[in-house]
Amino acid sequence: MNNLNIVQIGAEALALAVLFATPFLFAALGEVFVQRSGVLNLGVEGMMLMGAFTSIYVVSSKGLGADPVIGLLVAMVVGALLGLAMAVVSVTLQAEQGISGIGFTLFGLGLSTLLFKLLAGGVITARGFQSLYIPGLSDIPYIGKILFQQNVLTYLAFALVPISVWVLNKTTWGLQIRAVGQNPAAADAMGVNVARVRYLTLIFGGMMAGVAGASLSIAALPVFQENMTEGRGFIAVALVYFGGWSPWKVMGGALLFSIANNLQYWAQNYNLQIAGSPIAPNLLLMVPYVLTILVLVFARQRRRQEPAALTKPFTRGEN
Amino acid sequence: MKKRALITILIALFALAVVVNAQAPFRVAIVAPSSVTDLAWTQAMYDALGQVQESMGGEGAMEIAYTEGMFDVTAAAQALRDYAEDGYNLVIAHGTQYGTSLFELAPDYPDTSFAWGTASDTGAGQGLTNVFAYEASAEEGGYINGVMAGLMTESGVVGIVGPVPAGDALLYINGFQQGVHASNPGAQILLAYTGSFGDTAAAAETAQTQIAGGADVLTGSAQQVVGAIDAAQTAGAVWFGTQFDQSGNWAETVVSSQVFDWTATLEDMIAQIQSGTLGGTAYNLTLANGGLTFAYGQVAIPDDVRAAADQAVADVAAGIAYPLGGLPEGQFRVALVAPSSVTDLAWTQSMYSALTEMQQQLGGEGAMEIAYTEGMFDVTAAAQALRDYAEDGYDLVLAHGTQYGTSLFELAPDYPETAFAWGTATDTGADQGLTNVFAYEARAEEGGYINGVVAGLMTESNVIGIVGPVPAGDALLYINGFQQGVAASNPEAQILLAYTGSFGDTAAAAETAQTQIAGGADVLTGSAQQVVGAIDAIQTAGGYWFGTQSDQSANWPDTVVASQVFNWTPVVGSMIESIVSGSVGGTAYELSLSNGGLTFAYGQVEIPEEARAAADQATTDIASGAIVVQQELPE
Repeated sequence: MNNLNIVQIGAEALALAVLFATPFLFAALGEVFVQRSGVLNLGVEGMMLMGAFTSIYVVSSKGLGADPVIGLLVAMVVGALLGLAMAVVSVTLQAEQGISGIGFTLFGLGLSTLLFKLLAGGVITARGFQSLYIPGLSDIPYIGKILFQQNVLTYLAFALVPISVWVLNKTTWGLQIRAVGQNPAAADAMGVNVARVRYLTLIFGGMMAGVAGASLSIAALPVFQENMTEGRGFIAVALVYFGGWSPWKVMGGALLFSIANNLQYWAQNYNLQIAGSPIAPNLLLMVPYVLTILVLVFARQRRRQEPAALTKPFTRGEN
Repeated sequence: MKKRALITILIALFALAVVVNAQAPFRVAIVAPSSVTDLAWTQAMYDALGQVQESMGGEGAMEIAYTEGMFDVTAAAQALRDYAEDGYNLVIAHGTQYGTSLFELAPDYPDTSFAWGTASDTGAGQGLTNVFAYEASAEEGGYINGVMAGLMTESGVVGIVGPVPAGDALLYINGFQQGVHASNPGAQILLAYTGSFGDTAAAAETAQTQIAGGADVLTGSAQQVVGAIDAAQTAGAVWFGTQFDQSGNWAETVVSSQVFDWTATLEDMIAQIQSGTLGGTAYNLTLANGGLTFAYGQVAIPDDVRAAADQAVADVAAGIAYPLGGLPEGQFRVALVAPSSVTDLAWTQSMYSALTEMQQQLGGEGAMEIAYTEGMFDVTAAAQALRDYAEDGYDLVLAHGTQYGTSLFELAPDYPETAFAWGTATDTGADQGLTNVFAYEARAEEGGYINGVVAGLMTESNVIGIVGPVPAGDALLYINGFQQGVAASNPEAQILLAYTGSFGDTAAAAETAQTQIAGGADVLTGSAQQVVGAIDAIQTAGGYWFGTQSDQSANWPDTVVASQVFNWTPVVGSMIESIVSGSVGGTAYELSLSNGGLTFAYGQVEIPEEARAAADQATTDIASGAIVVQQELPE
């Protein structure tokens, strides 16, 4: 019997939690930009599915057998196009954002399933991004395993957190995005093209959702099956609220959820007991959700940055 | 003194009577529609009587009387009555058409035993106790002949010369067509009936029309076929026979003949009669019980054809393949409503592939339509889909999810003509007065046990992981069986079990698998369509996977050791047969190792000799009942 000790389990759990937090992080960071510009994109789930399918399809031998980097680019393009479409619907046509987002989710689910049936015909696998050991760092006990033996998309997702913070807070673009989300009329008066900003954030958000899907299908697994995201897109949107529109806190939320979720698998694996009686799997499965809600309720958020114009379409002269 | 002499004489007489009685031959009479040398139906029984006679000790031990050529039912009834009157021990009415008369006269001779075939009714329902019934599952041998015929035809055209579409001949012809479709979906079948059992010339003419139509392989039934075989020989075509070995006169033409071997049936009847039981048993010749055998002529049979035939025999005998005796008239329409995709490599795919297999066997889309609605997680939407299909007039509507039961029981009474089927379930709703629901389930714990035994012997780390969906239904049965199997073969092994809470969350399955791999597991298993993520994870880690529900080896041949496969084909076949015969529900079906419903598919992983032997032993023990796999584990 080679039972791991508690520290080893902790390291393994954290390493896996980091890996499986990756799709949340990509999707949620993209959504932060979208929402900070005043648009709610509930189509993330569908965009993730499209990114997941198209990327593994071009990488798999049933498709083009391409390099995973090509798969990633395809997911970016597909996601960006869907984001563009969402922009047309919600910015130009000013459709109700929640409803049209759900529409995009259903569209992505349906189209990815259809393409999957037509092109792949069944479960597909591929050789995706492999773990990339960072020389030197990956040998550090425990820490190396958790942080420096991940695939390139995971590194990228975490690197994007400080970059997002910097872009949002320190650049003109960031200022324009925040202004458009906070007070589009004022931004407009200052000469900012509100529609253009929102188009760009939606395209970026779609692209990030596509990458989030790819981070499942050509990195974490790599497998595709219909509806493989199983609601992760909605969890990502929820994480944006959870994190109060701050990339750092969104990352914290993604990690919190992911770690709790991974630990409950370990609890199941080792038949964790409380007072001598085993815990029903269904209870353990609830843990990450309950924990996230508890944190949301009890952690006092001193500085929530909810964009004032969120979900409100902008028409020049009306506000 | 006188008294003693009298007693002595009485005792001597009594003893003599006993001896004489013991030596009196067992007297059998047979009344048959055709000749005892018809190379078909009658000769099969007559020759079996001869063999039984020989094994009992010749004419002194058993007397055989026969009346042949009794096409006239009234005359046959008189012959039956005469034999009974004459004190024969067993009187055989060797024709379906004799049944009505037989049931009328049997009560008049309660000490005489009668036998009736082709039949499955012993008259027990009418209070008769002195009638045996016998029949042959001629569709089974027909199927085997058909498989060979489909592979041997070069023109792609196969001819069938039938007598009348009824009884044993119809069973054979139905089975034969399914065999041809199964082995050669593109083949064309020319089928014609002569309207007679004995019209040799009509059979020859029919055969010639089929040969002219391109047929190079023919078959047929009843004593008339000698004309057809001859026509086949002249044309250089080959022939498949039934009922009796027909190769004698045409050794270069007759490839194989399904032979009815009634010997065991007769021996059992005689043994029962001698022990005082005069009827009540219905016999059936099958491939499994050895009553159906094959005789080959001198036609060279290609190795692949022979192998396919052997495989088909084994599959039919094991219950894996299921030729239908009764075929639907016109297109049979089946609809499937399922919670996941028909390509899920799991629960839904197992049923969908059974449907497509049955569709091919029945002759393609023209013979059977398959409609499906997949991904029906939402029970309300599923109920609507079920209702739509019933409304649309489908013959059989499958509710392929335990969760659909409540809605199904609500809507089934609205469509009393439609057959519904519900699984995983054992309840046909009979308690609620429903008569149009079939139920089906798989004893997934049995295959789980086998997989567990092998897994226990293949793990090197002694840690085995199980990726469950939710602890319920078929998945729970499998997981429980698997754990018992591991415990049996490797009590040292540690089991890591975790549920993802979902059936379809591929990523969660992958993550769960990775926690188990990190925990030292080198062998994993799991259930539901989500497992593709887990299989991929264990492949990356270089370990092994054991699957269930469908064959999961295709994408990961070097990782998937074995998959328990749900083989619903016999269940689907049996439902269709039941519907064709007018019964649209009421039966609960179960897949088990012993009935051929649970089979195993292997990947390319080399399984150690020891593990394979243990698996074989466990399979035998479960089938025989020596091992009982529990559906629930003790707390």
